[in-house]
Amino acid sequence: MGHPNVGKSVFFNRLTGANVTESNYPGTTVDYTKGWMKIEGEDVELVDVPGTFSLDPKDKAEDVAVAMLHETRDVKVISVIDASKIERGLYLALEIIEEGYPVVIALNMWDVAWDKNIRIDARKLEQILGVPVVPTTAISGEGIKELVSRLKDIQPVEVDDIIANAGGLT
Amino acid sequence: MTLSLEERWTLIDKISRETVTFGKYEHTLKDAIGELTVKPLTGIPVAIAIMYGFWSAFGSFAGTLMTDGFFVKLFDGYWLPWLQGAFPGQGSWLYSIMVDAGGLGGSEFVLSDTCFEAFGVLTSGIFVAIGVVLPAISIFYLMLALLEDVGYMPRLAVLLDTVLHRVGLHGYAIVPTILSLGCNVPGVAATRILETKKQRFIMMTLLAIFIPCGAQIGIMDKVVPALMGWILLYLIIGYFIFGYILNKVVPGKAPEFLIDVPPYRKPLMRNITKKIWGRITGFFKVALPFVMLGCAIVNVLYLLGVIQWLGDVLAPIFVGWFGVPKETAGPLVAAFLRKDLAVAQLSVINMTDYQRITAVVLVTIYFPCVATFAMMLKEGWKELIAAIGVLIIVVFTYGGLIHLIGIILGVAE
Amino acid sequence: MNYDETGTVTDIDGDLRKRVAGMGIRVGKRLRMITKQPIKGPVVVIVDEAETSLGLELAERITVGVD
Ligand SMILES: Nc1nc2c(ncn2[C@@H]2O[C@H](COP(=O)(O)OP(=O)(O)OP(=O)(O)O)[C@@H](O)[C@H]2O)c(=O)[nH]1
Ligand SMILES: [Mg+2]
Repeated sequence: MGHPNVGKSVFFNRLTGANVTESNYPGTTVDYTKGWMKIEGEDVELVDVPGTFSLDPKDKAEDVAVAMLHETRDVKVISVIDASKIERGLYLALEIIEEGYPVVIALNMWDVAWDKNIRIDARKLEQILGVPVVPTTAISGEGIKELVSRLKDIQPVEVDDIIANAGGLT
Repeated sequence: MTLSLEERWTLIDKISRETVTFGKYEHTLKDAIGELTVKPLTGIPVAIAIMYGFWSAFGSFAGTLMTDGFFVKLFDGYWLPWLQGAFPGQGSWLYSIMVDAGGLGGSEFVLSDTCFEAFGVLTSGIFVAIGVVLPAISIFYLMLALLEDVGYMPRLAVLLDTVLHRVGLHGYAIVPTILSLGCNVPGVAATRILETKKQRFIMMTLLAIFIPCGAQIGIMDKVVPALMGWILLYLIIGYFIFGYILNKVVPGKAPEFLIDVPPYRKPLMRNITKKIWGRITGFFKVALPFVMLGCAIVNVLYLLGVIQWLGDVLAPIFVGWFGVPKETAGPLVAAFLRKDLAVAQLSVINMTDYQRITAVVLVTIYFPCVATFAMMLKEGWKELIAAIGVLIIVVFTYGGLIHLIGIILGVAE
Repeated sequence: MNYDETGTVTDIDGDLRKRVAGMGIRVGKRLRMITKQPIKGPVVVIVDEAETSLGLELAERITVGVD
């Protein structure tokens, strides 16, 4: 899951060897695609969904993504965030975490953020959120291995813990 | 537990303060170009230049270089004469269907000179598909892939928002429209990025009726290059007239436009080639068999006399209302399978330029091809039926209107 | 109401608040408007270095204190 145009389809193609369209405009993917990948010898199903700005869909493409999430409760979510627009990315990631899904965060477009002189302390972010946070650059493949290796041990987390880790809401 | 919107933002603010440092951001050339291409004063000329470049590259590469310069010579010069001699049983059914019908409808058997006239599955079928359509869609998809990957589409959407509002849509409707110019099928799928049912319905109907696909544009540019301007003009005007009417008639909301404009990116060669390759293999798997099948079906219908019969029955409508020769019935049957094939067929029917313009426009606006049909069905059968209703009305009123304009201009009777 | 140049979002009208939240637009954010299309066209704003385009009617429901 993630916003439109953050690189979800690039990830999907890399992980499953599939061939879904990747383009530089929001709304490239309008339907879901299922694929298979291997994690430590085990076949795991992966779904590429359209991008969505929130869990409150505004169009039919977003609806596909949100419905997919809500219909399959026992899923793990790779939350893809555009690292150069991290705040709004976290907004959606938090929404997903709050609904109780186990999440791993991919801080994608790491290269773009770097060029824009945005520095993110992924380690610290991981400590606060309590979920794995992996910097990635999907188009070059950087960070993808690490992302996959951390997929297996993700757990749902409580927002209260996140709030506590961040030092309260005030 | 879930947070309220404000709480969530407060939390993010906190997290972000601890983990993110925003360095000094330097404006790059890309940003500057980005701004220039969305500002109306500079953006609109740029958009026109890009579209013009798109069009001329399309015409010169596909039409002139590949089709005329290479494929026409190959097919008419070698393939057709060779096959006419090598294929057994001249004058037989099979020969007519596969190679050369020898002057459609005529009583005497005359060998055709060009692959357009022959209309056999192995001659015209393959020529239309490979010689005309393949170069056209290859170049089209190359340029489309560039536009997509650079990130120009959303900017074009911003510039066109005002105009598209008039037809109940908004700027982002340009995405399904442009995709449809390649093939209506992904275009129809892309209507999902529009917010309301009303918008999706208007968009889908307009796409199915007024937007010719890449294959069709390719062949139009080949067989009626001089009339292209007129044909496209009629289609664009139709798109807006009927869009305007639909906007007034269809209930529902047409919400405002709210999109993200991505930064320009350097397109990845790998991704571009992958996309084009995907399109071309898809073409061989889906389009080629359909073109050949379409060709065969039309030939069989001719030989059985069905098309002549249909032409006679529909003659009052065709001749009286639309002002086109009754032979146009044949291409209209073919159009349901493949529109490119239909246009190719039209090119050998004897008629005036204005009749040809009308006929090509009719082929375009009349029923979408089967593949598009199937995709629309997938999006909802109620919408499909409504869209067909609109389509029938449009074909009759607009077809008649074009005829009327011709009469007024003194080029039709 | 919006003018050119930079400002800080002071208020967002009702349900719109939720719709633009995902796009990173919220109260207290600084934004810069880079264009306004003629004839009631959409505006393009930059929030956190991300370009977003909004229809004029939506934009009018976001109040910005211009500096
Ligand atoms: N520089 C850079 N570009 C990237 C990266 N990941 C993806 N891209 C580019 O970002 C664009 C969008 O990628 P997609 O995979 O199509 O995005 P998506 O998330 O599937 O988008 P939707 O289908 O619209 O929701 C493409 O042009 C990619 O080449 C990255 O890590 N760095
Ligand atoms: Mg995608």
